Amino acid sequence: MAERRITARVFRLDPSQDEEPRYQEYRIPFEEGMSVLNLLDYIYQSLDGTLAYYDHAGCALGICARCTCRINGKAGLLCQVLVSGDLTLEPISPARVVKDLVCEKAQKGP
Amino acid sequence: MARRTIQTDVLVVGGGGAGFRAAIGAREEGARVTLLSKGPLARSGASPMAGADFTLDGRSLRALGQAGAPDDSEEKVFHDIVTQGFFLNNQKLVEQYVREAPARLKELIDWGIKIVLSEERAIFTSGLGLMNVLLKRARRVGVDLLEDVMLVDLVRREGVVSGALALDIRSGEFIHLAAKAVVMATGGWHKAFWPNTGMRDLSGEGIVIAHRAGAELGNMEFITFCCNVLLEPPHARGSLATYIIGMLAGHELTNSRGETFLDGYDPYTVKTGTTTEWNKSFVSHATAREVREGRGFERGGIHFRRGAVPWEKYALYCSGLFPKWKYKALDLAEVGRRFRENQPIEVGAVVEYFDGGIAVDDGFATAVPGLFAAGECTLGAFGANRVFSAITEMLVQGADAGRRAAEYAHRTGAPGLDAEGIAEREREAEQPLKRRGGLRPAPVRRRMQEMAQKALGPIRTAGELESFLVEIRRVKAEELPSLEATAKARPYNKEWLDALELGNILELLEIATASALQRRESRGVHFREDHPDTDNESWLQESVVKRRGAGFEVATRPPCTTSLTPPGGVVPYLDMMKRMMQSHSDVGGHH
Repeated sequence: MAERRITARVFRLDPSQDEEPRYQEYRIPFEEGMSVLNLLDYIYQSLDGTLAYYDHAGCALGICARCTCRINGKAGLLCQVLVSGDLTLEPISPARVVKDLVCEKAQKGP
Repeated sequence: MARRTIQTDVLVVGGGGAGFRAAIGAREEGARVTLLSKGPLARSGASPMAGADFTLDGRSLRALGQAGAPDDSEEKVFHDIVTQGFFLNNQKLVEQYVREAPARLKELIDWGIKIVLSEERAIFTSGLGLMNVLLKRARRVGVDLLEDVMLVDLVRREGVVSGALALDIRSGEFIHLAAKAVVMATGGWHKAFWPNTGMRDLSGEGIVIAHRAGAELGNMEFITFCCNVLLEPPHARGSLATYIIGMLAGHELTNSRGETFLDGYDPYTVKTGTTTEWNKSFVSHATAREVREGRGFERGGIHFRRGAVPWEKYALYCSGLFPKWKYKALDLAEVGRRFRENQPIEVGAVVEYFDGGIAVDDGFATAVPGLFAAGECTLGAFGANRVFSAITEMLVQGADAGRRAAEYAHRTGAPGLDAEGIAEREREAEQPLKRRGGLRPAPVRRRMQEMAQKALGPIRTAGELESFLVEIRRVKAEELPSLEATAKARPYNKEWLDALELGNILELLEIATASALQRRESRGVHFREDHPDTDNESWLQESVVKRRGAGFEVATRPPCTTSLTPPGGVVPYLDMMKRMMQSHSDVGGHH
């Protein structure tokens, strides 16, 4: 069975070095029922260890909201939005980026 | 180059229930308290993910106005926790658990916790609700809270704890924390295994760092696997939804030959081992057997389905547990469809709780002056197997550890930070940022996680443990020193964090594997294929891990007993498990 592959276009920015953000494309094997977080885990583990997205802690249950990003332009949780095809990933507030998809902490906690 | 230095009396490391309760306890004694949470406050670690059950004796539960078995007693709960632990418990810590549980539940009620349900000897609330209550209380009493900050190392002066070096994960800058006392409350080390139950932060730094500072560890080979954890679909991998519904409403488990393999076990053991929280020990053992003998499925699990349970019953339970097919916010629509159509879904035994940990006395002090520990990262309350609730454990231990740490801080002067020692530790921690052409941490971790799942799963054998130990030591010697963060900028540098965590994970795996290899018997959640009996003649012993230079040695000592004398004899593992199940007090409930 031919493996289906999809393309993820990911916002990249290291504010300590880059003047402008850029978009990097990755080809990923598609798995039915995978979340965007699963997809990023694949990129990080198998393709590119320099990519940052909020995953060092958190709930993966759709509650802590620390993984909120723009997924195809729409705000969503990496851990809960399911992948259906090619997609574009951007930080929720491009002006407050710490690195790539991770932003400075929102002031308000739970 | 530290961005900031923080002065405090008591530093609490860990943002789960034990850490929060310790911080509250220390603050209420008048100490200045800083709590360090690796992830989002009250939204990381295992506590918020818990179901969550709080267990105590039924009579005390009734006195708090809840349901509760009137014929229950503290003595009966004590007896049951010790027999469920196959007599390896520290009985003083079990006494503390039983004695303090009612006061901890009463204060939760006073602080506004919502009780969903109560039964013979437990109330059920939600982990999130519980953490919300603790967070609110911690803020009210004035605990300083740090989020997204990871412990790098403890700092001591002349052997006495004087603070810690930490890393602000978002900025990538170090934080120096000067403290008179430190409470470790870092929970388990789930991240050493794949698959795991989803917590991305639990890599056990509190346990390893306490050990490096000189604290003893114990019973590190006892690792509880939760059964019936979802292995598919990918976004729900690690969820306990199937575990919960299976225990409450019933289920059918089959292997790849289509056999309902639990039919091959003793009917009493199957009944108790599927309808109470003994399921973690029994079903995980039976699942591991199927998978090891080639009767599992592609993801390393077995098939779970509704089976003969009527759909109406499932629908009713699920509507309460997973309203609109959401568990917390996790979308279970596909899981619900399989339940309705009685289609199989792959589930497995996944690491859930660590029974061993840092050795503490009955005041939660370690052997290192100024260092305390509480909750899952400690050794002792549950012995070789846990059935009663870890939610109760984290709260009763947190409260006492926090109070004791504050008392200690009040009578001790501030030792002051050792600037030279910290600078050296910073340089070591920065190594992965300076290397070129090294190894990426993520693939190394994944390989070790998958090996850990096999070698340190519910069923072990000398050959596999020995080869795993050789491999861990090889990776420590050859790969760990060359781990590299490919990108060098410090803010949110995942590979840097992973490299730091991996050093701790490898050490924990080495210690647990050496302990499992040494224990030549089967007991609790540790089953040795090559030593399949529970040996009460030679092995009513705690494994004790002592620091020896840069390494460690595993010794043994009898566990602390107060009123319950352990049995003798050599008994086949599953017979011993049945005997422990049968010795349960005549009080109902799931514990």
